Amino acid sequence: MIIAERKPFKEIAAAVAPYDKILIVGCGTCVAVCLAGGEKEVGLLASQLKLAAGLKHRRIEVGEITVERQCDLEFLEPLCDFVADFDAIISMACGAGVQFLAHMCHFKPIFPAVDTTFIGVNNAVGYYTERCRACRRCYLGLTGGICPVTMCPKGLLNGPCGGTLNGKCEVDLQKDCAWSKIYQRLELEGRLDNLKEIVPLHPHSRGTTPGTVIHPAYRRRYGVDE
Amino acid sequence: MSKLSEALALNNFAVVAELTPPKGISVAAMLAPVASLKGKVQAFSVPDNEHARMRLSALACCRLVQEAGGEALLHLACRDKNRLALESELLGAAALGIENLLLVSGDYVTLGDHPDAKPVYDADSVQLLQIAGGLMAGRDSTGQALDGSPSFFLGAVVIPEAEPWGPQLVKFEKKLAAGAQFFITPPVFDLEKLKSFRQQTTASAAKLLAAVKVLSPEEAAQAKTGEWRKVYAIPPDLLARFEGKDGNDFFQAGAELAGNLVGRIKDEKLADGIYLKAEGRPDLLGKILEVAGMC
Ligand code: SF4
Ligand code: SF4
Repeated sequence: MIIAERKPFKEIAAAVAPYDKILIVGCGTCVAVCLAGGEKEVGLLASQLKLAAGLKHRRIEVGEITVERQCDLEFLEPLCDFVADFDAIISMACGAGVQFLAHMCHFKPIFPAVDTTFIGVNNAVGYYTERCRACRRCYLGLTGGICPVTMCPKGLLNGPCGGTLNGKCEVDLQKDCAWSKIYQRLELEGRLDNLKEIVPLHPHSRGTTPGTVIHPAYRRRYGVDE
Repeated sequence: MSKLSEALALNNFAVVAELTPPKGISVAAMLAPVASLKGKVQAFSVPDNEHARMRLSALACCRLVQEAGGEALLHLACRDKNRLALESELLGAAALGIENLLLVSGDYVTLGDHPDAKPVYDADSVQLLQIAGGLMAGRDSTGQALDGSPSFFLGAVVIPEAEPWGPQLVKFEKKLAAGAQFFITPPVFDLEKLKSFRQQTTASAAKLLAAVKVLSPEEAAQAKTGEWRKVYAIPPDLLARFEGKDGNDFFQAGAELAGNLVGRIKDEKLADGIYLKAEGRPDLLGKILEVAGMC
């Protein structure tokens, strides 16, 4: 899932300071799980904004709504009419959701309330760690299910750097060296031969942004050559 | 053929001295060892933004070393350049007559003095060795033909004291397969560890340069307080030699110890040559060779 972190209140408040009617749109999927932009966080931000305005003797109107997924057209379309009554929108979704909402709601200033952080996992409540950088050529089959692109800060594809210290990473000694873990895992599985071949340079052209994926079954529908 | 590769091919104990590129453009101090030692060492080695700290370009420094009459060994780190830049830098080195290379991943940016810089690592050190090998064979990394191909003496790093050893061995073997012709270790203080590494890897045709370092007071303090975060260990009896010493005395004791280590490495054939790290100071470099009986 996508992990995000709520922006500092000061930054959000400064961004929407010129507006009196503000709609806060939450997202019920990833950012809700990581406690950054779900329904509860929408409520909290609304109260903060109203309180801060009150302290300055300003009256503002703050609307609250949370959709299932802001990155999905199906859930966004019904929002369009709703948005019309407001001067500005705060989206609490990840960057993809914010942009999709911006695209749907023309001529409304939109502001993000979270910093989108990474693709990761929910280890336990409030504890998330990165796992994937969407490199578009997944090496996990070769590396025992541990990502060399993400779990090694240098993204090394052919084994550890010279800085590994007692199985820990030179960049942060609290963290395991990805390559120590990969080696251990493959050793346990009896698959160390996986590490014999030199992995060639990564095909970065695949990662040219912005990416598009058309599912093979839908190529005709979207006019893409089969 | 570079002097360094020639010496190693003839099984002559080779000496490489590391220089310290300035943070700026005052190059006189960096070049001082070239003038005083060029008859005694095969090559002067120039790190590439070592420890991710920005310094004068290693390629420019290597050229200056040559102009001062020395042979250069250029380090090239994957951290700062993508494959286009790495390849054109390698061609640039060759065009300037630089053959000796040390190809490394490079310490991570957040450990250096530009922590917000974008880390590149488009290639890793194994892939960079392959790239350099490809250039020597007349092809760039995409397979396109070159107009004139370079000749290099390809070096890489190996960590004899790596813990765990398995992953390091994987990398070492890949570097060999990718064409590494010589290896340089991190500083060695514990010769037993070097000896056991040497025994394990005798079959390899690649040459080994063991690094020997003049310890700084800061490093000695870290080693004593257990804040040591290096991939090599310092035996306590060696540390004890620095007891009660400071300032210049400390560095002299460090050079003396380094000289003893060099002498033993040479006599016991623990490596094919040495790589000296002495903060680029000509006096210390000279003293090491003197203590080792090599000049
Ligand atoms: S290799 Fe790593 S970054 Fe690439 S897709 Fe797989 S998990 Fe993601
Ligand atoms: S110590 Fe391991 S995880 Fe850390 S940068 Fe080096 S290879 Fe990557």
